Amino acid sequence: MTDAVVSIEGLSIDYVVGAGRFRAVSDVSLEVERGHVVGIVGETGCGKSTLAQAIPRLLPEPPATIGGGKIFFEGRDLVQVPLWKMPAIRGTGINMIFQEPLNSLNPAFRIYDQVAEAVRIRRVRETNGGSVVRAAGSGPFDYSRRPDPSAGDAWSGKVVPGGAVQEVVHRKQVDRETGGTHGEIAEEVLSYLRLVRINDPETILNLYPHELSGGMRQRIMIAMALSEKPSLLIADEPTSALDVTIQAQVLTLMKELINEVNTSILFISHDLGVIAETADELGVMYAGKLVEFGPVAEVFASPRHPYTKLLLRAAPTRYKTDGPLLSIAGNVPNLSRPPSGCRFHPRCPIARPQCKGDPGPPLAPVEGASANHRSACFFASEVAQMA
Amino acid sequence: MESAPSSFPPAARTVSPTSRGRRTWIAVVGFFRVLRANPLTMAGFVIVVAIGVAALIMIVDPHLLTRYGPDQLTTSYNLPPSWAHPAGTDGIGLDIYSETLYALPLDLAIAFAIAGTAMIAGGGLGLVAGFWDKPGTVGGYVSIVVLRITDIFLAFPSLILALAIAVSLGRGVWQLIVAILLTWWPFYVRLVRGETLAVKHLPYVTAARAAGVTEGRIVLRHVLRNVLEPVVVYFTLDIGTVLVTLSTIGFVGLGLVYPSQAEWGSMMSYYQNAGLITAQPWTVLGPGVAIFVTVLAFSLLGDGLRDILDPRSRRVLAGTGSGSITAAQPAEPPLPAAEAPAAPEAPTAA
Repeated sequence: MTDAVVSIEGLSIDYVVGAGRFRAVSDVSLEVERGHVVGIVGETGCGKSTLAQAIPRLLPEPPATIGGGKIFFEGRDLVQVPLWKMPAIRGTGINMIFQEPLNSLNPAFRIYDQVAEAVRIRRVRETNGGSVVRAAGSGPFDYSRRPDPSAGDAWSGKVVPGGAVQEVVHRKQVDRETGGTHGEIAEEVLSYLRLVRINDPETILNLYPHELSGGMRQRIMIAMALSEKPSLLIADEPTSALDVTIQAQVLTLMKELINEVNTSILFISHDLGVIAETADELGVMYAGKLVEFGPVAEVFASPRHPYTKLLLRAAPTRYKTDGPLLSIAGNVPNLSRPPSGCRFHPRCPIARPQCKGDPGPPLAPVEGASANHRSACFFASEVAQMA
Repeated sequence: MESAPSSFPPAARTVSPTSRGRRTWIAVVGFFRVLRANPLTMAGFVIVVAIGVAALIMIVDPHLLTRYGPDQLTTSYNLPPSWAHPAGTDGIGLDIYSETLYALPLDLAIAFAIAGTAMIAGGGLGLVAGFWDKPGTVGGYVSIVVLRITDIFLAFPSLILALAIAVSLGRGVWQLIVAILLTWWPFYVRLVRGETLAVKHLPYVTAARAAGVTEGRIVLRHVLRNVLEPVVVYFTLDIGTVLVTLSTIGFVGLGLVYPSQAEWGSMMSYYQNAGLITAQPWTVLGPGVAIFVTVLAFSLLGDGLRDILDPRSRRVLAGTGSGSITAAQPAEPPLPAAEAPAAPEAPTAA
């Protein structure tokens, strides 16, 4: 196996609602390599967000249940980890940015309190040792690319390998939980607010979330997530709730951060343009299944699954003047009664009787494409000639 | 592009969030601005403070407010209100004004003890029952047990239950507190559980969870703080309700024994039973007015408290905070200017 931060194998997630049980994510396998950005696209209701929330085990577990599969993160199968142990993995291990920036900050606390909480969590874990402490250059933050946060500098000098704090600071100044001084934490909070390009962070610190715009709040969320230096950052449609200009700003920011910060990112979106610009690899989901996965440029240039091809064709382009936008006929199937075989066959222009038979086509490497380009179609080689 | 390195490392000046003392001062200023905008709340607040100060004085040195000791008999009988006896005297020569004031700290203490204990115990149960209510888990079973017991208590008229318990326990301060408290906590369970259920599914709780915050800390920090507002408001209003219940139990003759222990309800009961309510109405009027004013003050204050506790309305109403309102809503900072307009197509800052 390659150097994958998280590797999902055959993951299935069921929702049990009343007497019904439907499979929102079925048999999905994918890997996010260290330092890579993996985009996941698909229509509404195809299981993107369920997949995203299942990785850090954030789904409410009833009604959701993990129907099978494994999620390997840093050598551990998260499916087997008891839920009460998950907080130790979340945050510094796997962090997440959500769709709703307007409600993702606690209205009762100032921005400082919220970012400082994230900073403290990381500091406590660094002090206690464990997997979170990494040597410079080997962690998700590649310190060779840019200077270390200054507060972290000051901090790392005080930590000996055993995790004890060498320097004795006056008690009154010491933060009860982290052993850092309040000044250090404040300084670090400020540095992360600056990292996400917030002007005048000294003022922002003392404001409450309702006093900030949606774009500002999303940037605060990004700052909080980055301040924990996660190995894997899951961005679940981080820009969907924002209007277009703010979306552009946040995306620009994220693209810059992706270059600065060496964190692996799983980027969920239904916006193909966003993925094209940010991702290294692209996964396409349809009706709970991963139907195609491959390097982003190759998938865009020569899709090997009819759904991907139709999806790309349906994307609005800026100067399109020749007639109406194309759409894919039909609807996403009801997941409580998914079609047999390949789930796309009722809508697929090149479907044949073979496609209806169970089991459907497996996600397999495609001939004539790069090694990690995989498609779940029996006729992947014909997609290029598809009308 | 060039903006990336310039933001790191941070400038080496020490800026810290507003200090605790300064924040407290801001909160106090905001509190009074809200009060000024809302005269009824202001009236309630002033009366509550006056009542509190009076109660403290009565504990420390009663003679600052009254001329007579708690059981001191005067030689004037059945006098109507006058300068010497602001609320008149009764048939055995007790000064009604003094007696009413002597009852003040006791009545307030009992009311706060009952409402406070009910809030902490019932609220705690409600928080736990609301947050850990997943069926089939330990929390789920605890939650069911707590809620069924709450239902049983709520199904019974609370005043009648309190009276029954008071009868069985006998008369006395502790008996009175226990009797009312046993019927009082279920309301807080319901209130806090409902609020918790509403709060725990909000995105910021999930976001905190995703940031690695432990469940216990989510409950105690993120959920509790957002549940607190309605509970504190309810608590303030509840002081009045407890006082009325307390007085009712005293009035039907199951509370404290007057004149050996002054309590407003018992006082009214005593004078009413002595048949003085028509001949010397001032004997009942003293404690009656005391109950009325106290309950009214807490109700007025409670109604206005919601505005004060909510950071959203607080700053809007008071126009205070770390900056002015205009400064508090900064324009979207111009992101690296070149990229802002045509963002998606702009080349990445490599």
